Amino acid sequence: MPRLHSSGWAFALALLAVSLAAPAADGPQTLTGVNFMAKDFTLNDADGRPHRLAELRGKVVLVNFWATWCPPCRREMPSMQRAYDMLKSKDFAMLAVNVGEDVETIFGFSFATGVELTFPILLDRDSAVTNAWPVRALPTSFLIDRDGRAVFRAVGGRDWDDPKLIGAIRELVGAQDR
Amino acid sequence: MPMTPDPNRRSTAGARLAAPLGVALMLLAAPAGARDAAQSVDAETGIESWEAAHHGVYIKLMQITPGQALAFYLARGFDAAPANRFAGACVFMTLLRNDAAPGPVAFDLRDWRLIQGGTERPLTQRDDWLAEWKRTGVPEPARVAFHWAQFPTRHTYERGDWNQGMHSYGGAPGDRFNLKLVWKADERTYRTVLRDLRCAPDDR
Repeated sequence: MPRLHSSGWAFALALLAVSLAAPAADGPQTLTGVNFMAKDFTLNDADGRPHRLAELRGKVVLVNFWATWCPPCRREMPSMQRAYDMLKSKDFAMLAVNVGEDVETIFGFSFATGVELTFPILLDRDSAVTNAWPVRALPTSFLIDRDGRAVFRAVGGRDWDDPKLIGAIRELVGAQDR
Repeated sequence: MPMTPDPNRRSTAGARLAAPLGVALMLLAAPAGARDAAQSVDAETGIESWEAAHHGVYIKLMQITPGQALAFYLARGFDAAPANRFAGACVFMTLLRNDAAPGPVAFDLRDWRLIQGGTERPLTQRDDWLAEWKRTGVPEPARVAFHWAQFPTRHTYERGDWNQGMHSYGGAPGDRFNLKLVWKADERTYRTVLRDLRCAPDDR
C-alpha cells in the first residue's frame, strides 16, 4: 500500500474521486411502485432562481436526490440528461435536488462531467427538503404523476435512458394524456 | 492516474459469484451460511475489496484508507481531529444490492456484528458518529455531508435497488475480522459471515 505524504491529500481526494466516478452497478433497471402525495418544496437553482414542485402540476416529474461526491449519482447524471432531452417536450420535467453542497461545487461537477446539464439543479443546503421526503440514501429518485402523486421510486443509480425506464416514463405521460 | 477497484461494477470475480454462485445459493434451503467472500487486490493501489452473493443479494466491501477518508472529510468542513477519528475506524465503501432476492431486502446495520478474537460486537452507527460530531462542534454543513456519505443504517431494497456508502466497522488499521450480516427477505431472516476481511492499513 503506498503511503500518503502531506502533499498527498490532493492525490487521495483524486483517488477517491476516481473510485467514486466509476460506473454504477449493472443491476436490473427497475422502478418500484409507490403511492403518496409528493411533498411540495421550493428550492433555488444554481442561478438563484426558485423552483416550486407544485408549479409543475400537470406534468410528469422526475425528482432526483443526489450529491457530487456520490458515485452512482455522478454516473447517472449523463443518462438523466439524455432522458431529459428525449422527453422534455412531452409534458415531462426533471428536478435534481443536490443535498448539502454549494454552487461552486456543483458548477465544478457540471464542468467535469463534460455534459451540459440543462435540467434544473436545485440546492438543498441543509437537506431539509431531502429529510422531508422518504429518502434514506443517495441517489434516490421518484416519478411524480401529473396530479402530484409519487408513483415510482428508484433507490440507487439507474441508466435513465434505458429503454425500460424511458418506456415507463412515456407510458406514464401517455396514460395520463389529457 | 491510478484506478482504485471499481466499487460499483461487478468485477469478473463478482460476475462469477453473482451468476452461478448466486443461483446455487438461492437453491439452498437453509437461509444461513458462513462463506468466504471473493477477495481482490488492486495491483496499483493495494486496496483490497471483498464481494459475495447470497440468496440474490450482492454485497461488496472496499477498503477506504485512513488517508482517503481523512481527505474526504477535511474537504467537507471537518477539522483534523474528528476527521482523523473517523478515518482510523476501519472505513469501507459498502455496497448492497437486491439482484434477485425472493422479496424486498430489509436490513438494519444494528443487527450486523464484527467478530474479532472470538467475540462479537455491534458496529458504530451513523447516528453515533453524528451525535459525537454535534457534541464536539462539527459544523452543520460538514455533518450534513457526513450523514449522506454513510451507508444507510436501515433500508429496504426492492429488486434492482441498491446503495453504496461509507461505513466504519470499528477495527484498528490493518485489523482482520469477520463480519456477520443479517437481512430479511420474503419473511425469512438470512445470515452469513464474510471471513477474514481486513481494515486498510494506516497511510496517514
